[in-house]
Amino acid sequence: MSKPSDLVQGTLDLLLLKILALEPMNGYAISLRLKQVSGDVLQVSDGSLYPALHKLEQEGWITAEWKPTENNRRAKFYSLTRLGRGQLEKESANWSRLSAAISNIVKLKEA
Amino acid sequence: MSPKHWFYTFPLRLRSLLKRNQVEQDLSEELQFHLEQKSQQYMASGLSAEEARRKARREFGGVELSKENCRDTRGVNYIHDLVQYLAFGLRMLRNSPAFALVAILTLALGIGANTAIFSVIHGVLLQPLPFPKQDQLMTLWEKDNDGRRSNTSWANFMDWNKLNHSFDGIAAVSFWSPTIVGAHDAETLVGFRVSSTFFDLMGVKLERGRNFLASEDVRGNNFVVVLSYGFWQRTFGGDPGIAGKTVQLGTRAYTVVGVLPADFPSVLSFDPRKPADIYTPLAYDETLPYACRDCRHLRAFARLKNGASITQAEAEMNQISANLVREYPTAYSAAGVTLTPLKDYLVGDVKTALWALLASVGFVLLIACVNVANLLLAWAARRQREVALRAALGARRARMVRQFLTESFLLSFLGGALGLFLAWGGVALLQRIRLANLPRLQNVQIDTWTFAFTFGISLVTGLAFGLLPAFRASKLDLSEALKESGKSSAGKERHSLRSALVFADVALALLLLTAAGLMMKSFVRLLEVNPGFDPSHTLTLTLSLWGPKSADAPAVAFFDRVLQRVQALPGVESTGVVSQLPLGGNLDMYGVHVEGKSLANPEEDPSADRYSITPGYLRAMRISLLRGREFDESDVVTSPMVALVNESMAHQFWPGEDPVGKRFRMGDTKGPWKTVVGVVGDVLHKGLDAPHTIQVYLPNTQFTDAMVVLAVRTSNDPASMAGSVRSEIATIDPQVPVSEVATMDEVVSVSVANQRFGALLFLLFGAIALVLTTVGIYGVISYGVAQRTHEIGIRLALGAGRREVLSMIVSETLKPALLGAAVGLFAAFALTRLLTRLLYNVKPTDPPVFAAVLLLLIGVALLASYIPARRATLVDPMVALRYE
Repeated sequence: MSKPSDLVQGTLDLLLLKILALEPMNGYAISLRLKQVSGDVLQVSDGSLYPALHKLEQEGWITAEWKPTENNRRAKFYSLTRLGRGQLEKESANWSRLSAAISNIVKLKEA
Repeated sequence: MSPKHWFYTFPLRLRSLLKRNQVEQDLSEELQFHLEQKSQQYMASGLSAEEARRKARREFGGVELSKENCRDTRGVNYIHDLVQYLAFGLRMLRNSPAFALVAILTLALGIGANTAIFSVIHGVLLQPLPFPKQDQLMTLWEKDNDGRRSNTSWANFMDWNKLNHSFDGIAAVSFWSPTIVGAHDAETLVGFRVSSTFFDLMGVKLERGRNFLASEDVRGNNFVVVLSYGFWQRTFGGDPGIAGKTVQLGTRAYTVVGVLPADFPSVLSFDPRKPADIYTPLAYDETLPYACRDCRHLRAFARLKNGASITQAEAEMNQISANLVREYPTAYSAAGVTLTPLKDYLVGDVKTALWALLASVGFVLLIACVNVANLLLAWAARRQREVALRAALGARRARMVRQFLTESFLLSFLGGALGLFLAWGGVALLQRIRLANLPRLQNVQIDTWTFAFTFGISLVTGLAFGLLPAFRASKLDLSEALKESGKSSAGKERHSLRSALVFADVALALLLLTAAGLMMKSFVRLLEVNPGFDPSHTLTLTLSLWGPKSADAPAVAFFDRVLQRVQALPGVESTGVVSQLPLGGNLDMYGVHVEGKSLANPEEDPSADRYSITPGYLRAMRISLLRGREFDESDVVTSPMVALVNESMAHQFWPGEDPVGKRFRMGDTKGPWKTVVGVVGDVLHKGLDAPHTIQVYLPNTQFTDAMVVLAVRTSNDPASMAGSVRSEIATIDPQVPVSEVATMDEVVSVSVANQRFGALLFLLFGAIALVLTTVGIYGVISYGVAQRTHEIGIRLALGAGRREVLSMIVSETLKPALLGAAVGLFAAFALTRLLTRLLYNVKPTDPPVFAAVLLLLIGVALLASYIPARRATLVDPMVALRYE
């Protein structure tokens, strides 16, 4: 199974929750958005995107709905649930703390 | 997980579970949409449709893998998988019905036998008695100088009660055989006289009415009874207003004061098949001649005080006993007091045998497991190509291991279910035919514990024999398996595994069969014992006189009339009356004080079995007269007191002398002298496996009992005479109860019931082991040979003789079989020692048994390998070479 190796475990969840917090989206659009916002730094293979989405859905953080796209194709649109919003806040806070701690360490001057 | 969370996720889980097709279709469609969008994107950038599609797919990675990972997130997969595994497993089993049948039957036998024996052990040994704090309940025994335990006397019982600080109380119990009198008939009941404190001590709450009062435990005030639940139901139809009503026992009316609960076990009766019907207060009569300090005929039951330990209590009782011995040097002698927990007292005799049976049946299960493991291995090997194919197509190892485990669990569950059914039938059969005199046997049932036990064994078995094939399947070398179809590659390893199984089978079976052989031989030896009488063609009946008829003179007259009438019946050869029947379970013993040979303390003189008989008894039982004369009509109550003694007694007291004319006293040290008029052969009284005891016969005119056994020797089938003998008695007096009608052969048979039970079960388990081993070895070898058909073909084609090939295959089986036999012999040598206590007149290392079992097993191994080997060599080499 190809894991997004450069992503810290759990970070992908945060990214997906954040993206979906802005607007409901289908899987393909999410994959485009991921690439676009991260400027190709974060490589998430399409094959591992869907299991990650399904996991969030099963956790109850996002919910899915089949809707027509702009070109009138049926697609599965994901949106954030109330539970997911709470999870997003929790994970963002966690992330801030973690990244702040790490950047502090990285900024340490050598004696 | 919070309930709120469940609110979101539960419908999803349900949907994944119930609308699987829909969910699957959604998944496909979702990924399809992604791929199409991607292709369109590439087409827009100028690629051809074909190229765009391929690029999109390549970037996506494995679509099936991604799907599988999505499915894994659903959280209900294991249920789907399980259903899938089960369905697949069932299909596989249906495709190999012979394999499935053998495996399931093998397991069912092993599990069923274990469950049945465990049920018996649980019901008889492990289940607590229905008494509160049952560990505090003790039986108290006088310890004889030779260490054996015996009953106690009234005087000691009173002193114990007064002097001890260890017990909440001590209760005494003695036998009581009241006669319940109806209008036209009468019946002897199994009853007990108990101290008024007895039921309180046991902690019993009565079903109806009340307990005995202390004031009722007094002579003259004691005409009250407590009924057992069963007797209450049987005789009074469970009359709810029974308390206060009267019941006619002999010539007296007794008031019923209470009824015991249904679960009160009959802890007092010696024969578990004859539970007590009725209880009355002990109300001991201290004026009786047997109220002496060393007249031991009371059983004592006690409850330890809270916090008191057995050892402390025993130490205190020993001290009390020593003080009493010092105080009454000529009236009392004992080495101390023995405490036995009530439960050990109840089941102590059968404990060893039951645990030995469980061990033996455990070995049966082991053999079953070995065989099933072996079957599964062969099955797995046959499916190697299937496994390889599935692995090549991308099935994950873990999945395949799970599949194999599911299949073996499936097998063990089916085997377990069938085994439970077998156990249930076996236990029901055991209770129905009452093969053994096991205490609490009716308690035995397949309950939750037993079910858990069975379930546990099935589970462990499933895991144990399922893991090996699963493990092998998982480390399979794919390319090789596909290429070689698994024929010769892993051949060596598989061969050694086969050998190991043959080895284990033979070793275990040898162990079991040796135990079975020893038990059988012991039982046969027991049956060959000459009891000193001839049990064939003899009918026995118990008569109990009551009321005025039970006084000495009328009793003797009544028995004479009975004997006259019965003797006149056609088919009756001889007949006689005796006070207690050998092997009948009674222990009526009196101290004998031989003139000039009494010990300094006459209380230490030995006791002899006492039989009061009519002159015809010795002939009816064919007990041989060795010297002197029998009793005859001239021995009456007024004539000189006479006695017959047995050979052992003659030998013990008058070695090298003629005992005829010698004198002794019986019981009372100041009683009248009895003169020996003859010597008779020894009779085994306590059991066929018991040592010979000293025995005294007295004319029933000079020592009369009201409860006697009538022995009738017949020329035809004795059982067929029972009706006419009974009606003769009823003609004389219909209100004399006749009970325990049995042929003497039956009496002997009942006396060895437990030994027979042990021997039969050991034999049964041995037989199962033998069948399983035969089937097991046959299965392994025929499978191994089938695998080697190709090789055998080559050998034959190259000119090897059929005999050589045959002997090659057979000798390959024989090697591990012999090794197994050797190890089995050693194990048996070490373990059969544990059976010593159960064996009669057979050493646990009896060479003929060991040799016979060894030969039997080697023969079986030879046969089981010869048949498939021969079949293989008869194959046309050309066919064999093409054999796939």
